[in-house]
Amino acid sequence: MFFHDFLEEAAQKNALLTINPYTKLILGLGSIVLVLFSPNFIVPLILVITFSVITVLLAKINLKFYLKLLCVPGSFAVLSVLAIILISGGKEELWSYDLLSIFPLSITIESLQKGLLVFFRVIGGMCALFFISLTTPMTDLFGVMKKFKIPELFIDLSMIIYRFIFIFMGKAHQVHHAQLMRLGYSKPKEAIHSFSMLFGSIFITSWDAGEHFINAMDCRCYNGKFAKMVQYNPVEKKSLSLVLIYLIGIIILIIMTTNYNL
Amino acid sequence: MDTLIRIQNLSYAYSYSPPAIQQINLEIKKGEKIALVGSNGAGKSTLLLTLNGMIKPDKGQIFFHGKPVTYDRTSLRTIRQKVGFVFQDPDVQIIAPTVWQDVAFGPVNLDYSDEKVNEVVQNALRNVGLEGFERRPPYHLSGGEKKRVAIAGVLAMDPDILILDEPTSMLDPAGSEDIMDLLDELNHQGKTIIISTHDVELAYPWANRIILMEKGRIIASGTPDEAFSDKELVRRARLKTPILLELCQELINRGIKSPMTFPRTALDIIRIIENEHHGSIRLFDEGYGTIHVGDVDQLSGVQVTEILAETICDTVGVMGSKAKICARQWGITPDISYAVIDKCILQAMNGRTSAILTTGGMAVRVFERVTMFNQTNNRSIPVRSLTDTSNSKPEAD
Repeated sequence: MFFHDFLEEAAQKNALLTINPYTKLILGLGSIVLVLFSPNFIVPLILVITFSVITVLLAKINLKFYLKLLCVPGSFAVLSVLAIILISGGKEELWSYDLLSIFPLSITIESLQKGLLVFFRVIGGMCALFFISLTTPMTDLFGVMKKFKIPELFIDLSMIIYRFIFIFMGKAHQVHHAQLMRLGYSKPKEAIHSFSMLFGSIFITSWDAGEHFINAMDCRCYNGKFAKMVQYNPVEKKSLSLVLIYLIGIIILIIMTTNYNL
Repeated sequence: MDTLIRIQNLSYAYSYSPPAIQQINLEIKKGEKIALVGSNGAGKSTLLLTLNGMIKPDKGQIFFHGKPVTYDRTSLRTIRQKVGFVFQDPDVQIIAPTVWQDVAFGPVNLDYSDEKVNEVVQNALRNVGLEGFERRPPYHLSGGEKKRVAIAGVLAMDPDILILDEPTSMLDPAGSEDIMDLLDELNHQGKTIIISTHDVELAYPWANRIILMEKGRIIASGTPDEAFSDKELVRRARLKTPILLELCQELINRGIKSPMTFPRTALDIIRIIENEHHGSIRLFDEGYGTIHVGDVDQLSGVQVTEILAETICDTVGVMGSKAKICARQWGITPDISYAVIDKCILQAMNGRTSAILTTGGMAVRVFERVTMFNQTNNRSIPVRSLTDTSNSKPEAD
């Protein structure tokens, strides 16, 4: 039930952990922006392939886990793209069907093109996003946030939230197990009752944890400051130039494929 | 010795509860190793929390360096910096998403400069043997490692007194021994250490003062054998007599001459029996085994491995956090990592050779300890330094 630290755990153990986070962010964010500029599905498709290769082969993320992750946005994308293909109109009709004679469904070349573009844009963007989250642990991003002058309050809060997520997930896991062991979810009514109890106990735990947190900070002379780590491994010229070459290549591809039609 | 903390007539009750501690009088001196021992709910944690101002007592006063503690913001900051508190549950204490950030929390809030923060964090992590863990998130660490992070977070603020609430309650026996060894090392560096525990076997050999608590009151305070010798007190505090002490008392009951001091370790017991026996119980023809002492600062991994292979040591002991890290890096598995000197002397008395890997200051301690043992017991256990094997002269006769 609780897959809490999978993403973060993978990120902490990935093979690209030592690469400077800025390099990884330039690659990921740059590609997301370029995906939005792409006129048809070819560039996003290439992004999907290259990012999957980078994530699985270079960052050594488990393939099965990666595919499982992609299923989440994938299922959303498939459903919405189906709707786009069937509903939006066009000139060259390939297939049509009159549903209950008031709701015409048709597939046209144009709608197919639009559907493919949206689908690969979504997946391409998600691949780039997964690349960032699977190779750059949250703890590295806090330092980046500080460098970009994001308000301290916001960073401190997100650090506390980040720390608490794991405490709560651990607690929820324990309570859930304790309930399972005493057959807490064996009947539907029982399950609803147990589930509400689980959340009740997490609420109390969070209250308690907050209290402990303040105590722990006071014990160490809390004065409104949180230490942040801003030192990273230096930017490697080789990896940075590879990233830039890749991005430039994508830009050239976009320009070249502007006039391509299905 | 300087008195660091003096407590006078202290009482405190949580709301709607009977008093958690009452009429506590206590003096804590510099360099002491104090174990606060009592059953669950005896008021140990409450007493400890008053020491760094986390709890404001209802009655009584606390003096820190002779001055009464006040509870305004600035004085609380000073006292909390000087009296470091390590919680029982490290998950409660570790607040930051990485080890480095957590250890740096205190120094940053003390307004240290960036360089100084870096320096003290590095030192603290080295002290507890967690170098290289800076970027690790705490939820990935083992119980013992988390405990070390918590201790490092407090050490980074350079406290005079280190208070640990139940330091070993969540650790496996080997992890507990590691932490106790670390506390010994810190005490040797000049920190006063107070722990609370209900593990008498742990407190008895480690502490140099035991404070027994029962229902919020101190019922005894003294050296470990004084505190634990009184069976009535031990029963009242809902504890048990340490097994070594019990053994010694049973030996005395059976007519073995009562020793000057009560035994604290297995070595002491052996000595008592040997005294009765007028000499060694059994000594091999080769005589005593040699204790080799290696300084990891002056030796490389290859050298140590070679020397260990040459000298054919029966046991290898590792003392101190730094030496433990080195041993791990060099692929040496230590046989002993706690109470190393005593155990090696025991081995030597049994005709077995041993090697102790440690760092500069503590290497000197090994020589002192063994020389003292030789003098007081008329023994001649040889100690040799591995660092200057060229002249290989015996350091002790």
